[in-house]
Amino acid sequence: MNTSGRATLLLGASLIFAASACAVADDANNATFWVRMQDSSVATPLVKAWNASHKDQISLTVVPNDDFMTKFGTAAASGNVPDILAVDLIYVPQLAKAGQLTDITDKAKALPFAGTLSKAHMRLANSGGRQYALPFSAEGSLLVYNKGLFKKAGLDPNSPPKDWAGIEADAKKITALGGGVKGFYFSGACGGCQIFTFTPYIWASGGDILSADGKTPTLDKPEVKNALNFYHRMWSTGQISAGSKTDAGQNFINTFLTGKVGMVGTGAFAIGLLKREHPEIDFGVTPFPGEKGGTASFAGGDSIGIPKGSKHPGTAFEFISWCLTEPVQVEYFAKNGSIPVRSDLGKAYVNGDPRLQVAFDAFSKGQAPYSDKFNQLINDNNGPWATMVQEAVYGGNVDAAVKKAQTRFTEILAGK
Amino acid sequence: MAAQASLTTRNAWAGYLFVAPCLLMIATFFFIPLGMTLWMSLHDWPLFGARSFNGLDNYVQLAHDDSFWQSLLFTTKYTLLVTPALFIAAFILALVVQRPGRWSGLFRTAYFLPVVIGMSAASLLWVWLYNDQVGVFSAILMKVGLLDEPLEWFDTANGALFSIVAMVTWKMTGFTMVLLLVGMQAIPEDLYEAARIDGANRWNQLRYITLPLMRQTFALALTVSVIGSYLAFDQFYIMTHGGPQNSTISVVYWIYRAAFTYSKVGYASAMSVVLLLILIVMSFVQLYLLRSDDNA
Repeated sequence: MNTSGRATLLLGASLIFAASACAVADDANNATFWVRMQDSSVATPLVKAWNASHKDQISLTVVPNDDFMTKFGTAAASGNVPDILAVDLIYVPQLAKAGQLTDITDKAKALPFAGTLSKAHMRLANSGGRQYALPFSAEGSLLVYNKGLFKKAGLDPNSPPKDWAGIEADAKKITALGGGVKGFYFSGACGGCQIFTFTPYIWASGGDILSADGKTPTLDKPEVKNALNFYHRMWSTGQISAGSKTDAGQNFINTFLTGKVGMVGTGAFAIGLLKREHPEIDFGVTPFPGEKGGTASFAGGDSIGIPKGSKHPGTAFEFISWCLTEPVQVEYFAKNGSIPVRSDLGKAYVNGDPRLQVAFDAFSKGQAPYSDKFNQLINDNNGPWATMVQEAVYGGNVDAAVKKAQTRFTEILAGK
Repeated sequence: MAAQASLTTRNAWAGYLFVAPCLLMIATFFFIPLGMTLWMSLHDWPLFGARSFNGLDNYVQLAHDDSFWQSLLFTTKYTLLVTPALFIAAFILALVVQRPGRWSGLFRTAYFLPVVIGMSAASLLWVWLYNDQVGVFSAILMKVGLLDEPLEWFDTANGALFSIVAMVTWKMTGFTMVLLLVGMQAIPEDLYEAARIDGANRWNQLRYITLPLMRQTFALALTVSVIGSYLAFDQFYIMTHGGPQNSTISVVYWIYRAAFTYSKVGYASAMSVVLLLILIVMSFVQLYLLRSDDNA
């Protein structure tokens, strides 16, 4: 090896040593905080602000969305958990049931603003009357539509559809514009996307996918079948582009950003994204309608808790309650385009934009299913929920698809 | 005599000392994890929460688990497709770059380059090449007028499988090519010369000298390729997510799902053990069938 090669190698080796030395020093004194990628744009400045104003430091680790539970599971199995965990609210029942989270009931009740905290988050973090996590970030699902295409198709851009027939009729007119324009879109191979943007149609029509206690599937009820038929009609008449069938979430919002899609179910995050990066697209938002009217929304986001085995539980709770204080909610969440998790702080978020008001209302009135088997039932892209949507919408045999999913749901809920 | 013996003993010790680091590595990264896997496979071992010993329950359950055997069947189908594709492509490339020519070094490097990027990176790259909105493949086919609108490469079970086989062939051919090249170059030039004097043409030389003398190389390359294909995971996880409608779930994908979706780590371990046994048996069979005549 020549001299410069050796020098490079030495430099590389010393850099690795230096980096690992830093990492060790970090871990020894700081509380560790894990958050999924989706929340990193909020969490990064947040942790920076905390570290600038507090003696007990926090180091942030951002984990890719899809790998979050895998990584936390591995960490829990080896006993090396983070001190603070912000996790998709939907997984809290599973973690609480498995004894992975610290009971914070008393401290949570003592918070002066306890009554204003997001109901969906609080419900899912409550197991047997005990509280295992608090709200961290919020996300509400809604229908976003392209006003420009509405105008071109001769529709009133200020009167979005109020029921399924309205969506189908508008979609047809928009698709008729031609040139690759389609009326509607959804990510068809993605269980998580479907719970977020497809179940609201079922909820708004009075149906549900699980019983209130989360123990019995209710997929074989007419509302579910009708909603699947509604999607299937739009697919088979060509209102949805072919890419939908294999989209596991990559194009969840991308297709709308091309300006060639009339309507798409998405989250409040899309409002900020569109305003910031696609000012050329004139868009409106509206809640998901039911078959004959009514509205519904999925209330999502992350909950924040203290894993069992946390080495800094004191700092952890201090940080969690600090995140929920008014100045932090306003400065780092609302002004950053993220829905605050306190019902009394909507004004700072909406800030005069009626579309954000729709998003805030959608979230406030939204719901989320309670299940400690959520991953197996719903989020698993190879699981029964995603498979049912695929078979029913693209295959067309709604009854058979529903029957199969109902059976598989029952098996999974029985622990098989 | 005595001095020689002590020298041999000393050499032996030195030998042990030299292999010690390697043995330590193998023990740490293979035998200990293997032992732990065996141990875990005898437990009801959830990802979160308490574990309990359940003997051979996992194995009994596995015998009745259709999804596991289906995924094994699918993996076999994938292996039967990808292995010949790799071999044919690699053999042709090896013939092309075999003789030292002006450009052969460049071509060898070019063909080998995809091997050095990771399977995950390659899968991600190809997912976007195949993408209907921004992908290059559909765009080219549309440009030359073969397609009117983008092709959905993954929207049928066979489409998805062939798309992945194409990617893996691109990615791994270089590796098989190098293995075959080494075997090819180990054949003494005299044999070809003698054959030429006897009037053998190119085809006959290939048929009666190259192919028979490469038997052991084929055995090695085949075993490596079959094992690699049976352990395939990244490409399915990243490119098709097991879709459409769960038609592309390989064995390792299923093991991953059992461990991390269903959080049945013990059960996943049992599947890994069974897969290991299957691979050991298959490797023995292949090596036996392709053994060289001297050892027969």
